[in-house]
Amino acid sequence: MRMAKTVNDFTINIATANGTGSQSANLILLHSMFEMGVPVSGKNLFPSNISGLPTWFIIRASDEGYQAPGDTTHVQVVMNKDTWLADVEKAEAGTIIIHNMDVKLPVERDDCVVLGMPMTKMARSINPRLARMIANMYYVGALAETLGIDQNAINSAVAQQFKGKDKAIELNLQAISEGREYARENWDCDIGYAIEARDKDPNTFLIEGNEAAALGCIFGGINMLSWYPITPSSSLAEALIAWLPKLRQADDGGATCAVIQAEDELAAAGMVVGAGWAGGRGMTCTSGPGISLMSEFIGLAYFAEVPGVIWDINRVGPSTGLPTRTQQGDLNLLYEASHGDTQHIVLIPGTVDECFEFGWRAFDVAEQFQTLVFGFSDLDLGMNRWATAGFEYPDQKLDRGKVIRTQEQLDAIENFGRYRDVDGDGIPYRTLPGSGLEPILYRGTGHDEDGIYSEDPGIYAATVARLKRKIEGARDLLPAPILREENDKQVGIIYYGSVENTITEIDDILESTTGLKVSTCRVRALPYHSEVERFVAEYDKVIVLEINRDGQLYGILRKELPVEHLSKLHSVAFSDGIPPRARVYAEMILKTLTSDTTEVIA
Amino acid sequence: MSMRQIQLNVIDLPKADYTGGPSSLCPGCGHDQISNVIIQAAWENGIAPETIAKMSGIGCSSKTPAYFLGKSHGFNTVHGRMPSVTTGANMVNKDLAFLGVSGDGDTASIGIGQFVHAIRRNLNMVYIIENNGVYGLTKGQYSATVERGSKKKKGEVNENPPIDLCKMAINLGCGFVARSFSGSKKQLTALLRAALSHRGMAVIDVISPCVTFANNDESYRSYNYVKTNEEELHAVDYIPHFTPIEEVEIPEGEFDDIELFDGSTLRLETLGGDHDPSDAVAALAAVHDAEQNDKHVTGLLYYDSKMKTADEALGLTETPLVDLPEEQLRPSKVALDELNQSFRT
Repeated sequence: MRMAKTVNDFTINIATANGTGSQSANLILLHSMFEMGVPVSGKNLFPSNISGLPTWFIIRASDEGYQAPGDTTHVQVVMNKDTWLADVEKAEAGTIIIHNMDVKLPVERDDCVVLGMPMTKMARSINPRLARMIANMYYVGALAETLGIDQNAINSAVAQQFKGKDKAIELNLQAISEGREYARENWDCDIGYAIEARDKDPNTFLIEGNEAAALGCIFGGINMLSWYPITPSSSLAEALIAWLPKLRQADDGGATCAVIQAEDELAAAGMVVGAGWAGGRGMTCTSGPGISLMSEFIGLAYFAEVPGVIWDINRVGPSTGLPTRTQQGDLNLLYEASHGDTQHIVLIPGTVDECFEFGWRAFDVAEQFQTLVFGFSDLDLGMNRWATAGFEYPDQKLDRGKVIRTQEQLDAIENFGRYRDVDGDGIPYRTLPGSGLEPILYRGTGHDEDGIYSEDPGIYAATVARLKRKIEGARDLLPAPILREENDKQVGIIYYGSVENTITEIDDILESTTGLKVSTCRVRALPYHSEVERFVAEYDKVIVLEINRDGQLYGILRKELPVEHLSKLHSVAFSDGIPPRARVYAEMILKTLTSDTTEVIA
Repeated sequence: MSMRQIQLNVIDLPKADYTGGPSSLCPGCGHDQISNVIIQAAWENGIAPETIAKMSGIGCSSKTPAYFLGKSHGFNTVHGRMPSVTTGANMVNKDLAFLGVSGDGDTASIGIGQFVHAIRRNLNMVYIIENNGVYGLTKGQYSATVERGSKKKKGEVNENPPIDLCKMAINLGCGFVARSFSGSKKQLTALLRAALSHRGMAVIDVISPCVTFANNDESYRSYNYVKTNEEELHAVDYIPHFTPIEEVEIPEGEFDDIELFDGSTLRLETLGGDHDPSDAVAALAAVHDAEQNDKHVTGLLYYDSKMKTADEALGLTETPLVDLPEEQLRPSKVALDELNQSFRT
């Protein structure tokens, strides 16, 4: 006997081996549910390997819109012999376990609902050569049947996955249909979980953060992409390479953006600096290890005041770390990269819409402030698919900053010097190579207001003070935080980036377990906006929530906020490589709130 | 009032428009002679100073862009990384004439990767190595180009084999590879003028004695040593495309003419031997033989004009990318609407 069905509120975990084609099967499941209007998220936990190591794909359906991996797995699909026993063992009592009988490993769980299907054998009967890959489509069919996923949605997801490849579409649809049939005939198909169609906003679609950022760069007028392959940023560069010819060809058929696969990250950064120096819009994308290597050039761009953009798609550090797992561990590195006193502008998207927006905006900010600007995303946001209702067109023209292009413009400035602060905002004017206007030899060595080499102590001190003032002036011109405020000003949570995908659920857990209504403030840029300080000032306690060990934003806030606010700040930071699960963070927050005071949680 | 006639080049500029600030290098430094040749060559070729971009890394040699072409923009970048900065600048403004100056430490050690890859891409630039075999700014440590058996003023004889940057460039397929000596003003000027007329990577490795740390007779890169051990492959004359050929002194013996990209000619007058610069193996052999005999072979070692440059290979639009208007850089709102729609279906 079954309880009432749980509708649109469960988590499926699919355990497969890397390189077996399971990603296609998993995306078809994800897209078919999305097609039915069900709020759904997919997380790919993949290994640093091309073929053979274990992969898990987690699909969460949630009418509440929760996008974090659920705390409980309700349906476990086991396909991979290497993790089989562990996958079976860790299932909680009552889990639905769907397995490939041809693996011929035991599923000894009397307390679970165990459903087997000879997936490889069936796949072999329709195509022996591709049986290993097609076998995955049988669990798609099985889940479609048992969960009640609409066949039209499946058809459309398959068509999307295998765009234009009719043979592949036909073959995979046949396998899915056979999987359905087997489940219908051999299993009790009421497994207690169901997908029900919801009204779908016809404008929404799923897209990876990296592709969104790449498209943003294209609408931001990128002139040069230099890149060195590194997970999880390669797909950003590859999306640019794929989209540039379609969106940015000149009338003569030539390219308007040069793409160079560099010999290493040092060269990639050098090319960005070169492009910016010459007056173009250069960008590179990388991950933490690349930022470490680029640091020397980052300092040069800061000190010589050359615009450029670097996207960091954060993976788990330190060192090579966990190359295919997610973290927010690079924030400190970005903010103060390179030796000496530096400070860099960091734009921090939390959604795919912001990946697109900051993709174009980063170039404007870089040219406006004549400095290096980071886009800071992570593997979770960058390589998983998230919903958007469509990207919005830039609301301003390209901002090319203070560039003098004509003799008249030059003549209008009294006492021109490349590094002279004419306007009092710390941002000097620049001329470009090739213009013949006020040429100078740019340098990373000490220089005076005219760009001439100088070791003069007063000139050095004045230069770095101006640089600090320049970046300081960016605070309130950068994206403001997103605030969700309650009337009760007891507890505020400051967070950033991909924590956006988990915050609603954390908030709901806090409210449902303690009645506490917290306000939230999502920081979207460094140096942080003055609204962040205002937020901290208004709350009794402020939690800084982030996916790292040390509380990196917490550290930055402690350094920069007025001292009277510091006792309010509490760090909640944790990272194990897996996308954040709401309950883990909610419990850490509760522990922090109760540990040193009894006032807040009465 | 005395009239002093000022000589003008083909674009009516005096040589003064090509000079730079005063040098702060040691008096007698070979690098200063090279700076003077750069000034001379750019002026004689009639290149508008504002179209030149002076690029350098870090070291004594890399300081020199402050001492020539004061009307050109330049970038004294970071150690060994001049090629990547030049690459980025070249991609967005392919109409600039890139003149890179580097040293043996900058190129053969810390920057060897970027040197190699700039050649591999056939970056459109002139790459001068001011090669003295020592690190001057840090007070005279050996660099990786110093010959086995050579000895600087202080310290032991070097026992490590040298990295020969010309051999390396030839092996990598560089289309213009030359070696010269800072003391051979005529040869160096002709080679540099030819390099400036070439399209693609042109490497000129210039032996440039360090008067402070390695100008002793036991140093294979001292003035005395190079003067007595230099073997010229040929006498060279540069004939610019804008000068009628009759005006140039025609050498008496045999000669070969090399047609350069801009229509100018490099005339190679055979001296004794018979080096064919289109023969890479012969070029490698010439360098190898000289090395075996502790000699320095100079002249145009290798030449091949057929390769595509980095910017050509990418199929960039005709207008330099920095000059593109906003309409060419940002797709229209309609394009974004269509893009959004394509994701929805």
